[in-house]
Amino acid sequence: MQATTREPLDAFLATQVLDAFKGVKKIPPEEYYSSGHRTCQGCESALAMRLMVKAAGPRTIVLGSTGCMYVANTTYYTTPWVVPWMHTQLGSSGSAATGTVAGLRALMRKGKMNKEPINVIAFCGDGGGADMGLSAISAALQHRDYNLLILLYDNESYANTDIQVSGSSPYGANSTFSPPGKARRIMHRRWKKNTAAMLAAGHPDCRYVATVCPSYALDMLNKVRRALSIGGPTFIHALDPCPKGWDYDPMYSHELGELAVETGIWPLFEIEQGKPALYGRSKQIAQGTFKRKPVGEYLRRQGRFAHFNDEDVAYFQSKTDAMWQQWLIPGVLPFQAA
Amino acid sequence: MKSPDATAPGKGQAPPGGTMSAGATEELISGSEAIAHACRLADVDVITAYPIRPYDTVMQYVAQMIANGAFDCEFIVAESEHSQFEIVKHASAVGARVFAGSSGVGWFYAFEALAVTAGLRLPLVAMVGNRALDDPGAFGVEHNDALAVRDLGWLLAWVETAQEALDTALIAYRVAEDARVFLPCAISCDGAFLTHSQSIVKVPDAAAVRAFLPPYRRGEKQLHPDNPITIAPQVNEDWLMEIRRQSDLAMRRASQVLLEAYADFGARFGRGGDPFIEAYHMDDAEVALVGMGTLAMPVKVAVRKLRQQGRKVGFVRVRWFRPFPTEALQAALGGVRTVGVIDRDYGFGSAFHSGVLANEVRAALYPLQRRPGVVSFVAGLGGREVTTDHVMALADRLWDTAADKASEQETHWIDVRE
Amino acid sequence: MSIGTVEVIYRGVFQKTLAKNLCRGVVFAARKEGKIGIAFGRYGDSPERNGIPAKQFAVVADTEEELQEYLSRYEPNNNDVTIVADDTLCKGVESWAWSGLQPVNKLLRPGGTLLVVSTQPPGALLRDIHRRETPYQLAIVPGAASFSGMFVFKDDHTDVRLLGALARVAPHIVTLPSIGEAIAEQWKNDFKVTSAKQAHDATEASPVAAGQGGGLPLRSYDLPGSSRMTEGLVIRALPARGGDGGLDGGFTPGRSATFKKFSTRTLRPVIDFATCKKCTLCWLQCPDTSFNITAEGLYDVDLEACSGCGVCEAVCPVKDCIVMVNEAAFDDNASPWAAWRQDARSYATWRAGKLAARAPRAHGFHHPGQYAAESAPSQVRR
Repeated sequence: MQATTREPLDAFLATQVLDAFKGVKKIPPEEYYSSGHRTCQGCESALAMRLMVKAAGPRTIVLGSTGCMYVANTTYYTTPWVVPWMHTQLGSSGSAATGTVAGLRALMRKGKMNKEPINVIAFCGDGGGADMGLSAISAALQHRDYNLLILLYDNESYANTDIQVSGSSPYGANSTFSPPGKARRIMHRRWKKNTAAMLAAGHPDCRYVATVCPSYALDMLNKVRRALSIGGPTFIHALDPCPKGWDYDPMYSHELGELAVETGIWPLFEIEQGKPALYGRSKQIAQGTFKRKPVGEYLRRQGRFAHFNDEDVAYFQSKTDAMWQQWLIPGVLPFQAA
Repeated sequence: MKSPDATAPGKGQAPPGGTMSAGATEELISGSEAIAHACRLADVDVITAYPIRPYDTVMQYVAQMIANGAFDCEFIVAESEHSQFEIVKHASAVGARVFAGSSGVGWFYAFEALAVTAGLRLPLVAMVGNRALDDPGAFGVEHNDALAVRDLGWLLAWVETAQEALDTALIAYRVAEDARVFLPCAISCDGAFLTHSQSIVKVPDAAAVRAFLPPYRRGEKQLHPDNPITIAPQVNEDWLMEIRRQSDLAMRRASQVLLEAYADFGARFGRGGDPFIEAYHMDDAEVALVGMGTLAMPVKVAVRKLRQQGRKVGFVRVRWFRPFPTEALQAALGGVRTVGVIDRDYGFGSAFHSGVLANEVRAALYPLQRRPGVVSFVAGLGGREVTTDHVMALADRLWDTAADKASEQETHWIDVRE
Repeated sequence: MSIGTVEVIYRGVFQKTLAKNLCRGVVFAARKEGKIGIAFGRYGDSPERNGIPAKQFAVVADTEEELQEYLSRYEPNNNDVTIVADDTLCKGVESWAWSGLQPVNKLLRPGGTLLVVSTQPPGALLRDIHRRETPYQLAIVPGAASFSGMFVFKDDHTDVRLLGALARVAPHIVTLPSIGEAIAEQWKNDFKVTSAKQAHDATEASPVAAGQGGGLPLRSYDLPGSSRMTEGLVIRALPARGGDGGLDGGFTPGRSATFKKFSTRTLRPVIDFATCKKCTLCWLQCPDTSFNITAEGLYDVDLEACSGCGVCEAVCPVKDCIVMVNEAAFDDNASPWAAWRQDARSYATWRAGKLAARAPRAHGFHHPGQYAAESAPSQVRR
C-alpha cells in the first residue's frame, strides 16, 4: 500500500468574503429565494429564507430540513429557490450541512471538483433544531474545519403539522397539543429553551452564534454574512412571527417581531469567538437607554395567548424580568453571579 | 482448499481464487477488512462511522488506513447512525462516492435515512454486518436487519466469503452509480463468520480497479451552484405514483447492469460467476436447498456427503436478494421435486409462518407449470451454529415430504429447544 | 335513492372553523331527516396556510351504500351546491402548483347553485366568476367575509346563515326545520336558529345562463409522466431573473411559472408612486418577494405573486403611500406602476377612488374582546 499525498486540512478553510451591507440602500436586488412558495400570508419564516440567501449570494448550497419551509415552500414539481436546494430529514440539518461540506471538501481536495469556497447553509425549524435535531447540530458544530451555517428559523411550534407545541414554544401558548381547557388552562408548562446560547456555550470550535429577527432585516443579512465569512461551523437562531400559529393578522408580522425584542422576550445577541455581546434594542435595554415594554403588549396581540389571565401575564413578565435583572449576561448566561 | 466440485465450470461458483492481476496482493483478512480495502480501491470520498458490533470492524480498518496515509477520504465519526447515513446521503448528492454501514438496531436507528436515500436515488454503498435485533441484546447473525429495507429500493447482496465481500463491494459501486440505476446498495456480511474471521483474499491493485470502476458522475442531478436544482420538494398524490414508477424501472434495469458488471469483472479479475445465484450440484438434483450468506458453507459440505450416499441433492445460494433473482430461481429449481429454504431470519405471522426468503421463493416458483413443493426452515438465529448434521437432517425431510402436500406448508425450526 | 353534495371553498385557516361548522351542520341536519352523511376536508389543503384557498365537503345520502364511494374521495365533482365563503375567491382557486387557476364553479353540476357570501351584487360577482358552458344558479348571502384565526373563532353567525341559505337553495339536501333542529342541538343557541331562518328567507337564487360570466385568464398544465420527469426528485431551480416587463434598468426576480399566489389574496396594496420615498422597506420585508424594482428605484408590486398580507402597508413610513384595499374592487393583475407611468393623473384619480370606497379591514386578527361590540358576549368562544 502506498501512502497517498494530501494537502493540509487548513488549505480548505477559505470562505467567501462577505462584507456587511452598509445600510438598506446597499442591499443588492438579486433574489435567490423568490415567489413560488405557498406559505401563509405574512410568513416571517419565508422572509427569513429570503434574507438568508440574499445575504449568502449565488455560490451557495442550501439544505432544508422538514418543516413549513419544506412543505409550504417547495411544492413538487416547482420551487421558489434560485440557488441549489435539497431537502433533509427533520432532525438532519446538522448532518446535511456536514455531509455536503464533507463531499465538497473531498472532491476539491482530490481534484475531482474545481476548488472554490461554496457557502453551505442548512436550516431547520424549532422542532427540527431545538428538539429533534439538537444532537446532529451539536456534532456539526464540532467540525472546526468545516465551513457551514446552521440557521434555526423559530416560529415557536411545529407549525407545518398544524401548530403543535415544541421545546421552543413559549410558556402557556395554545397549540393543537396544548389547548386550554376547562380543567387545565395552561397545558404547556415548559419554558422556552435558550438554544443559541446553549450551543455557543457547549461548542468551543463554533466561532459565531447569533440571534436575529427578520423584522430587523439589515441586521439579519449582516449576521448571516458574518457567520459565513468567519469560517468553521456557525449557528444563527431567528425568531419568526408566525401569523397562523401565533394567531394574529398577517400585516402585523413585522411589528410582532419588533415587540418580541422590545419587550425583552427575544434578546438579540451575538457571540463571536467566545465574546458575547447584546446589540440593537437589546443592548439599549441592558444599558438602560430603552425601557422594556410590558410583555402584555406582545402577548395580548396573539390569539395563542387569548386564554391568558392576568396572573399568566404576570408570570411571563416575572420570568422575563429575571432574565434581564438576575442573569450573568441577559439572554445568554442564565447563571447568577456568585 | 478447494473441492473439485466447487470449481466445476458453469456452476456459478465464486471461488476464492481467480486470476491475479498485476499489482494484486494476497492478504489474510476478514470480510470487514476486505470491504475496507474495496473502499480504498474505489477511492471513496466520504465515509461515516458509528460504533456497533459487528460491522464496526470495517470502520476500524478504514480508520487505520487513513491514519497511516494509505487512503484519503473525509472520515466522519457521527453522533448516531441516523446522522451517519444522513451525512453520506448529502455527500453523495454533491457528487462524492460514499460508504457507511451498520448492524442490527443501529441499522434501524438509521431507518429514516435509509428510506430517503433510496427515494432520492443516491448510490450509497453500505455494509451490513448482519446482527440480531435487540431486545434482548445479541451480537450474533440474523438477516432481519438488512431485510427490513427490502421493499424500499435498495439493492441487497449477501456474500459468503471475504473475497466475495471485496469483489461485490467493487461491483456494487459500478452498478449503484450507473445512471440507469442510481440506487443504494447494501452488502450483507454475516456477523462473526465474515466480520470476525480471516481468510486468504486476493486484493486487486488500484489501477485495475480504476479501469473497472468509472468515476461517479451525477450529471444533471448533482447539487452544485453550477447546476442549480431543487431536490425532493414536498409532493402530493399528483406525482408520487410516477416517482415510485421511476424507482421500479430503475430496479428492473439493475438486473441487466449487474450482468454487464459481473461479465466485465470476470474478464478483468477472473472471478465473479453468475451474479444472481450460485447453483451447487443442481444439474441432476431431485431436491434442492436454498439459502444466503455463510450458511452456504455447512450446506455445501452436507450436499457433498449426501451425494456420497447417492442422494441427488443440490443447493442454490441467493447472492442478490434485490433485485430478486426470480428467473434464475425458476430455471434452477423448476425441475426438482422439493425445495427446502433455510432462513436465517423470521417472518412472524407471515404466510406459513415462514422466513422471508422462503416466501419470496414460493412466490417466484408459483407461476411454474410444475412447481416444486417448498418447505421452510428457520435456523441459526442469533448466530447459533448451523452444522452439517443439521443440514443433513433437514434435507432428509425433503424426500419425506415430497409426496405429502400438507407438510409442504410447514415451517420447521432447526435446533431449537421446545 | 338520492345523494347530495356540498362543496365549501374558503380561506385556509381564516375560515377553517367556519367551513367545518358548515359541513358538520349539513350532516347533523341530514340526520334529522333519517339520512346519513360525511364531512371532510380536501387532504391536499392540510396543513392549511393563512389565506390559501381550501375546500371542505359535506355529502348526504339516504343509504350507506350510496355514500360509500364518497368515503374515499379527495374532491367530489358534480356538486349540488358550491359555497364560496369569501367573495374574493370568485376570481378562482389556485391552491398548489400545477393546478392552475380553477374556477369556483368548476365542480358545480349543471343547474346547481353557487352560494356566495358577499356584499356585492350578482353582476359584479359575475365579472369575477368564470364563464362556463352549462347554466347554474347564483345565490348571495349578504355579508362581509368572516375571518378568524387558528384558535379564536369569530362567531358572527356566518356559519348558520349559510346553513339557512343552503336549505333555501337545496331543500332536497337539508330542509330548514332540520337545520334549525341541528343548530339548536349542536350550538344550544336559539339566536343562531333565528339567524339561520332569517338568512333562509332572505336568500334568492338567480339563474346564470351558459356562457355568462367573466374571469381572469385560466392556466392549465399537462402533468408529465414518469419518463419525462427528472429522476432523483430533481427540479430545475428558478432563473435568477425574470422577464423585465418593461422595467428597463430595474430588477425583476425569477418567479415560479407554475404557482401564482394571487388567489390567496383578500386585500391588495394600492401604491402611491408619487409619494414613495424609496425607503426599500416594502420590498425588503415582503415574504413573497412580490416587489419588482423599477429603473427609477420605485417598487412595483407583481400582483400575481402578492398574497396580500399587508406587511408592506405596515412597514411603509409614508402615510397612505401603501394602502390595502379589498381585492373585490379590482379586475386584473396588471402592473400598477405601468398604469402610473402611462398616466399619473388618471392613476391618482383611480387610486383615490379605490381608497375612498374601501371596506373596513376584515382579517384574522383576534384577541379577547375584539368582537365584544359586534356579537353577544355569550357567543365569543375562547
